[in-house]
Amino acid sequence: MTEGLWLWLAFVLMSMTTIGTRGSFILLGEKGRLPSALQRALRYAPAAALSALVLPDLLLDGATVSPFNPKFAAGVVVVVVALRWRNPWLPFVLGMGALLMMRKGLGW
Amino acid sequence: MESAFRRGAREGVRDFLPISVGLLPWAVVTGIAMRSIGLTELEALGMNLLVYAGTAQLGALPLIAAGAPLWLIMLTALALNLRFVIFSAAIAPLFAGRRWSTRLLSSYLLVDGVFAICADKAVTSDDPQWRWGYYIAPSVFNWLVWQLFVAGGVFGAEFVPSDWSLEFMVTIALMVLVLPMLRSRPMLVAALAGGLGAVLLRGLPLRLGVVAGIAIGIAAGFAAEHWQQRREAA
Repeated sequence: MTEGLWLWLAFVLMSMTTIGTRGSFILLGEKGRLPSALQRALRYAPAAALSALVLPDLLLDGATVSPFNPKFAAGVVVVVVALRWRNPWLPFVLGMGALLMMRKGLGW
Repeated sequence: MESAFRRGAREGVRDFLPISVGLLPWAVVTGIAMRSIGLTELEALGMNLLVYAGTAQLGALPLIAAGAPLWLIMLTALALNLRFVIFSAAIAPLFAGRRWSTRLLSSYLLVDGVFAICADKAVTSDDPQWRWGYYIAPSVFNWLVWQLFVAGGVFGAEFVPSDWSLEFMVTIALMVLVLPMLRSRPMLVAALAGGLGAVLLRGLPLRLGVVAGIAIGIAAGFAAEHWQQRREAA
């Protein structure tokens, strides 16, 4: 865990990415233009980044790949629920419910 | 007579209202998630005030929990914020003639939902007062609602039993964010390549696998788009 001063430094650095990206062209004014190839490539950054954070958590059990674990099963529930219903709370309620049921109810 | 600024402000908040409802669970979950990895109330509120970017905050939490190096935390936040470079380029004309300090404040406040309502009509409006009201009112409204509901999650987290695996909320939140992005094939390729890349490269030191996965995902998505266009042209 990152702690103390380092943690606050991490927040400040993250804050700089917020202002830096949001402000990039707003602060430049009318001087800047984004090259279209770069603009197209950047579109893939969020999906790649989110997935790079999610899949390891779902697929890894410790350091080994094992798709048959409670988190992966709960992840499948989240995907089905999120694609099927538009209610914004439902994936959290049913995903956590599925994980807790498997861990506590079935002792998985 | 009502001024153009106030008319813009009223219409902006009205158009933004339905979007802000969908935001409430995010705010609460972000608050709980920050506490679930071990941040104190003060740290969680401070992070929310400084960073003010839900996706980047949620994405950085696993790295902070693992004690990853600062530059890796920053790089991941940057990757999750990169979409705002595109938004910023698109919305910049709205601020023509505004002072630098106004632009700085507006930059901090720029979020997906407000960009979505401003992207077409406010950017092309000829009335600088109206479009300024249309941007700043929902932006400030969103900031207040977000801070309030995140605080609700931060202070509510302690009433949730500690053995409930709450940190999994972060993963659920990130999944719900990525799913709607996957409508096109290149986007799906980018996500799969990024995710599997991070899994396969998990042995790299300093959790570098995440950054490598992001780079692989961007390259794969870009390549897939290229091939798709060539096939359509043929």
